[in-house]
Amino acid sequence: YQVQSAVTDRKQIVFTGHSLGGSIAILATLWFLEKFFKSDSKIPPLCLTFGCPLTGNRIFSHALGRENWASYFIHFVMRYDIVPRLLLAPIPSIEQEFESILQFFAAKSTNESAGGVPEEASDFHMIVMRNAASVATHAACNLMGSTNMLLETVTSFIALSPYKPFGTYIFCTGNGKLVVLRNPDAVLQLLFYSSQLGSEREVAEIPCLSLHQHFGYESELQESLEMQDVVDLKQLETLPLSAEVTGGDSATINSALNDLGLSTRARLCLRAAGVLEKRKQGNKRNIDAKEKDIHNAMNELETSYRAYCKLRKVGCYDAFKLQKNRQDFDANLKRLTLTGIWDEIIDMLKRYELPDDFEGQRAWVELGTRYRRLVEPLDIANYYRHLKNEDTGPYATKGRPKRFRYTQRWREHAEKMPAESSGESHFWAEVEELQAKTGNGEGFEEVKERVLKLERNIQKWVNGGEVEKDVLLEESTLVKWWKTLPQHHKLESCISGLIKN
Amino acid sequence: MNRSPIFSSGLELGSFVVTSNVLHHSWAAISELYGEIHEPPSWDSPVRFRTFQQPNCTIIAFVTWPPCTKEHLQGQGRGDLVSSSALKETFPLFEFLCTKTNPRFSINKPAIDLFVSVRGVLNFLKSQISNKPLIITGHSLGGSVASLFTLWLLDKINLATTKRPLCITFGSPLIGDDGLQEAILQYSAWNSCFLHVVSDRDPVPRVLISPYNPTAPELASPTNEYKPFGTFLLYSELGCACLEDPESVLVLLVATYSEGSGFDYKDIFQQLNGNVICKDSTKVDEWIAQPLQAGIITQLGAIGLGRLQQLQQQSIDMNTLIRQTERRERKWLIRRREVYDSNVLSEMKVYMAQLEWYKKCCEDEEIGYYDRFKNAFDSSDIKAQGFKKSLTCYWIDMVDEVEKKPQRNGAAFTTRWLFAGTNYRRMIEPLDIAEYYRDGKTDYMAKGRSKHYTQLEKWLSEDEKPASRPNNSKKQNLAGGLTENSCFWAYVEEARISCNVLSNGESNDMDKHKRSLIVFEADVMGMLNNYAVSPEIFLNRSSFMKWWKEYLEIIRKGIMGPSHTSPFTEFMQNRQYRQYAPGCL
Repeated sequence: YQVQSAVTDRKQIVFTGHSLGGSIAILATLWFLEKFFKSDSKIPPLCLTFGCPLTGNRIFSHALGRENWASYFIHFVMRYDIVPRLLLAPIPSIEQEFESILQFFAAKSTNESAGGVPEEASDFHMIVMRNAASVATHAACNLMGSTNMLLETVTSFIALSPYKPFGTYIFCTGNGKLVVLRNPDAVLQLLFYSSQLGSEREVAEIPCLSLHQHFGYESELQESLEMQDVVDLKQLETLPLSAEVTGGDSATINSALNDLGLSTRARLCLRAAGVLEKRKQGNKRNIDAKEKDIHNAMNELETSYRAYCKLRKVGCYDAFKLQKNRQDFDANLKRLTLTGIWDEIIDMLKRYELPDDFEGQRAWVELGTRYRRLVEPLDIANYYRHLKNEDTGPYATKGRPKRFRYTQRWREHAEKMPAESSGESHFWAEVEELQAKTGNGEGFEEVKERVLKLERNIQKWVNGGEVEKDVLLEESTLVKWWKTLPQHHKLESCISGLIKN
Repeated sequence: MNRSPIFSSGLELGSFVVTSNVLHHSWAAISELYGEIHEPPSWDSPVRFRTFQQPNCTIIAFVTWPPCTKEHLQGQGRGDLVSSSALKETFPLFEFLCTKTNPRFSINKPAIDLFVSVRGVLNFLKSQISNKPLIITGHSLGGSVASLFTLWLLDKINLATTKRPLCITFGSPLIGDDGLQEAILQYSAWNSCFLHVVSDRDPVPRVLISPYNPTAPELASPTNEYKPFGTFLLYSELGCACLEDPESVLVLLVATYSEGSGFDYKDIFQQLNGNVICKDSTKVDEWIAQPLQAGIITQLGAIGLGRLQQLQQQSIDMNTLIRQTERRERKWLIRRREVYDSNVLSEMKVYMAQLEWYKKCCEDEEIGYYDRFKNAFDSSDIKAQGFKKSLTCYWIDMVDEVEKKPQRNGAAFTTRWLFAGTNYRRMIEPLDIAEYYRDGKTDYMAKGRSKHYTQLEKWLSEDEKPASRPNNSKKQNLAGGLTENSCFWAYVEEARISCNVLSNGESNDMDKHKRSLIVFEADVMGMLNNYAVSPEIFLNRSSFMKWWKEYLEIIRKGIMGPSHTSPFTEFMQNRQYRQYAPGCL
């Protein structure tokens, strides 16, 4: 109710939390975003966490990027605070020591002066850091585009923590400076590298510090507020590699990096994260440049091929399936051109080579839907023309290419439709399958439910303009098949009206 | 777009290996194995091994007793290589490494001798392997045995269904020449199974490298030198790094050696684990801006080549090293891109569509694309030739790739891929046959058929599900279909040759030709009953119809015996084939 009234009053809502409370704040923010922000409220929320453990995996981070929500989350992390790094270690590996650490935290949060640091602290710190190193170096190898397959071989021997950061991270150097970082890959590296030990001497101090700092946010941020010294790390791909850079902008950045204790090696990892991000942007530009090709090919199909089919009084699906004339062949070439471009896009998405927000972009969602409605029937026609259903299986379950599955999901997601509800582009496959099953006038009862469902959908889609009317022409596979259905069914069928007209 | 900068991830990979605990587990197994040995050293049964079943992995460890020393390896004949041709007669287990392009390799004699001494237990050890991930490890010469065992195993297991084993050697000497290196390197999945851990203090792994190898000068050619394969984890007290480029490995193995006694591989875990969570101390100069350069400098620092003077002392040219690594990384990137390139694939689809169209146009002319192509007279045929050429090049490469890397195709070798290959074969091979017989050559099946067709056909038959009965949709869709047996036209041509021989009546093999014609007849009938041939063969001007006319002539002359009839001749004479295309047989 409080949230609702704040929304009505058009106030911005700030969710905040310390430690595990931060995780709860994150989940509350997500709840708010899904429930209010997508529909009524246009005032973005803000989520501030302090020393919060990692809360989601890679999919989580990717999803927030897709919705463009990542910027509403700001996480403050002290340089040595163990808690934000904790979950980089798989739980079983730290279970043993974790109990006493938790006890220490519990005592500490109620009473400032409660007890000393437990003796397990040192082992605990060591285990967490080693696991953090595992995760960070594994990620770094991938960031750097390592081609050594040994990485894969060794990975099968260990359990890596699935947790990944998201949102904006603000690292507190410990001397009042704040370092801002938005690239999640770089944040992961920094979580590890900033808390590395400087020398053997620190082995004794840091574990204690790593626990105490979890409670030091108030005083540290107080100091930061007074200093107003904030460094925003943006151009990661040009970070100075040497600790001794002087002069200009890079001197400021360099001193911030030094305050976080970043070696050349750590800087290389950050750079790699920056380069990868830049490459993703570059890929996106390349893909955007192809938008015109897609439009051209689709316009061609939409105007000339449709017109030609209309002239012949057959639906595009049937004309394409017969492949009788030059025009059908030309349409096939257009189809293949489009296939090439879309497959490339899907390939990149699968390899995470496009920015996270690509799939959420309005223009691409719409283009994908248009493409799917126009070309998927042709793909299905081709599939059944070559009898691929016989050696591969039904199109919908075995043969449907990813380029259509993905684009369908985009639309369903963007318009908040239930999953699998926007299947208008592949109803032909169901027609073909049902035709094969009821071909000789038998077997209707077995598939009756499917027939009814298909008919309801066709009615909805044709009336809604999502499916072209040419599917109802006299000679279409759909109509010819429908006419073979039992008389009693046809009388009651919801599309009988459509077909007669 | 400018090329994006390249990184070298050797340090990261090194740290990752260290934190993954695989080294720790392996060495623990080795020291336990050493601990079990109580008898005094003897050279009677030098190889010891044992399988350790851990909760999350299986470890097979090898050691030799007594442990190998530098002096031992430098002994007379210890650096000898045994060639694959010599091995073929006595110990043929590694024959599979020889390929057409890389026919020879050689293995260190002591190493292979040790491996031969355990040949009796190989299958026993293999039976110990479960579904758990597998580590094969060994120290010193025991590591050489471990490497050879892994190699033997790689040939025996199916990597598409099993996880790759990991072979970790500690301080092992190099075991083979460039032939062995090449054999392993060409399969990157194999190469990725080997991790060689080398301390900067350990002389053993360096003994057989030519500058240290006393027997090297006696060997005639430089090809007889030992070469590394797999990934090397070099470490010093400052840190560790993984290297894969074989040339850099050779150079750095020599350069990093610092003489000193009292090292033990067991110390490395503690020390390296400490290193991993400590800050890396290597600094780079301000002027270095390229990440690759900086990356290589930090790596050299970690393996103990920090100071520039040290490099100069060892006469290592930093720039050469950087250039080498860079070239290698770029090469890899390009190769990876090729694999992923979906553009090529869609181009191939376009070519197939073009040929499909060509086929259809030919049918409209009542000739069929086989005969049209055989007579090749206008520009559309020449264009078709171009498409055919591109497709053939692509598929020869693909088949080659799949053959070379059977273990990597768990993913790539899907039904869909095979389907595309089959489609290609059925579409294009008739054109190859057309060209072959156009040139007046005979016996395509035995002399003319390209290997990649045979291979594609073999894969299909291995994959084939039980043959389905021809159903209605198949009959109705016959018009666009392709003849299932891609060699159909070769049989037709041979049958025409037979007819020719018979009608001239001047051969000693009359009976043979008659028999083959009868077989052909029956085969065609079988295919027709299964709707396995395209109806285009019945087109007016097709070679098949020409053959039929010739054959009919022969039958009429009574050459096939008095009143020769068969289901096939009746089928043809009654013109039942007219009902074939509409699917109404």
